[in-house]
Amino acid sequence: MNKVMTSIENLKKDIGDFYKPGLHHFMVMNAVEVGDQIEVQWFFSDYAHPCDTTCFYTLVRPETEIPSIKDIVASAWVAEAELVDLMNIKVENTQKGFVLEPDFESGPLRKKK
Amino acid sequence: MGRQYEIPIGAQHISLLEPLHFKFTTENEKIVATEANVYYVHRGIEQACCSKFKFRQVSFVVGRVCGLCSISHTTAYSQVAEKLLKIEIPLRAKYLRMLVIELDRIHSHLLCLSHVAENSGFEALFMKTMQYREFSMELLEAVCGNRIQYDFSIVGGVARDLKPQVAQSILERLKKFIPQLDELMDIYKNNWTLSLKNKGAGAITKEDAMRLNVVGPFARAAGLAIDVRNETEDLLPWKEVGFEMITETSGDVYARNMVRLRELYVSIRIIENIINGLPESALITETKAFPDGEATVRLEAPRGELFYYAKGNKTQILERLKIKAPTFSNVAAMAEAFTGNEYGSAPAIIASYDPCLSCTAR
Repeated sequence: MNKVMTSIENLKKDIGDFYKPGLHHFMVMNAVEVGDQIEVQWFFSDYAHPCDTTCFYTLVRPETEIPSIKDIVASAWVAEAELVDLMNIKVENTQKGFVLEPDFESGPLRKKK
Repeated sequence: MGRQYEIPIGAQHISLLEPLHFKFTTENEKIVATEANVYYVHRGIEQACCSKFKFRQVSFVVGRVCGLCSISHTTAYSQVAEKLLKIEIPLRAKYLRMLVIELDRIHSHLLCLSHVAENSGFEALFMKTMQYREFSMELLEAVCGNRIQYDFSIVGGVARDLKPQVAQSILERLKKFIPQLDELMDIYKNNWTLSLKNKGAGAITKEDAMRLNVVGPFARAAGLAIDVRNETEDLLPWKEVGFEMITETSGDVYARNMVRLRELYVSIRIIENIINGLPESALITETKAFPDGEATVRLEAPRGELFYYAKGNKTQILERLKIKAPTFSNVAAMAEAFTGNEYGSAPAIIASYDPCLSCTAR
């Protein structure tokens, strides 16, 4: 797995420069709690070199809003909506209530403090 | 422009096997827009795997993510745990994992085909396909001990060996199944009325499949050659046992049927090759290590790419486990592929996606 660090400010540019729909396959987003921060990850594979997995990641505070990559990766809205509900992170232009009922408490996968 | 109606299907509906909900906007029977909601059964399995269960127990927990492809989940988890433990499993265990994965693919593909037939209005074909599927369930029980949710793959290898009489029985029953598969291929391929219903229904192009990151038979039916078995020689030697990529071009329900049927022939060949060349070795690699670091694994489940991410912290309990099921990758395309189709085709189109919401919502 090739991990590429990015930042909130550069995320869309970095993924936009990397991702080509005919060459790369977007797999999923993930989030891991690291201390009081969250490591948000975007996983891609390569159709031509399929064993290569590329992971863009950035560390953010839980209240930080993550930019959406929907305009770069058309199917990313599903992964973004899932993380909003299950990890209680904020993603640009994404409402809660896709994975869980809208009145359900968000973030069931977050560690209990 | 005709008058528009909104028609919901699901979460419980006679044409649905899974708790999903589609809201179709129709105009003169044509679907012009679709809204999808696929999550009704979130069970918190990832959280349980990172809090209640030790990492060796997790392979038994993830086997409960799905009744249809539990071997894919247990194998993918075992592989990601083995990466964290930095161990290599015995060759015989790799071959036995591939054997059960392919037996599982046979029963899963036949289940999907039978439901496409049923939702297309062909109940007799549904029953015939289900009847022919039964042998694969019996073989899975003989190999694993269970018809579904078999705890076969475990961290370090496999839990059971293949008995010689079971291996012989598999070869004999596969031989009997081939003419039955030929018969099914002939019906799904050449029956005029079934073709009329399935050709052109729910079609997506190769470009859309790439744009929407579609996986599995759904992608391959549109001509997108993505199959993890072609790509992960480091974990399981698929090409050594006769893997072949199957693709079609039209991207419709008919093409998805053809991909699944043709893949059954490949699965039969793989199983025969595995049994005829099964290496002798131990079944498990023992270790006292604890998982450390992070790793990912991809595995081709019957519905497509299954992805596992795990992070260990040198304790018995994992720091994080992330599961991405194949249907999750297809949700965006599922909603788009309805547009322009007759509302009456919707049940067959849904069945041809072969959605598994149990996996997706986990």
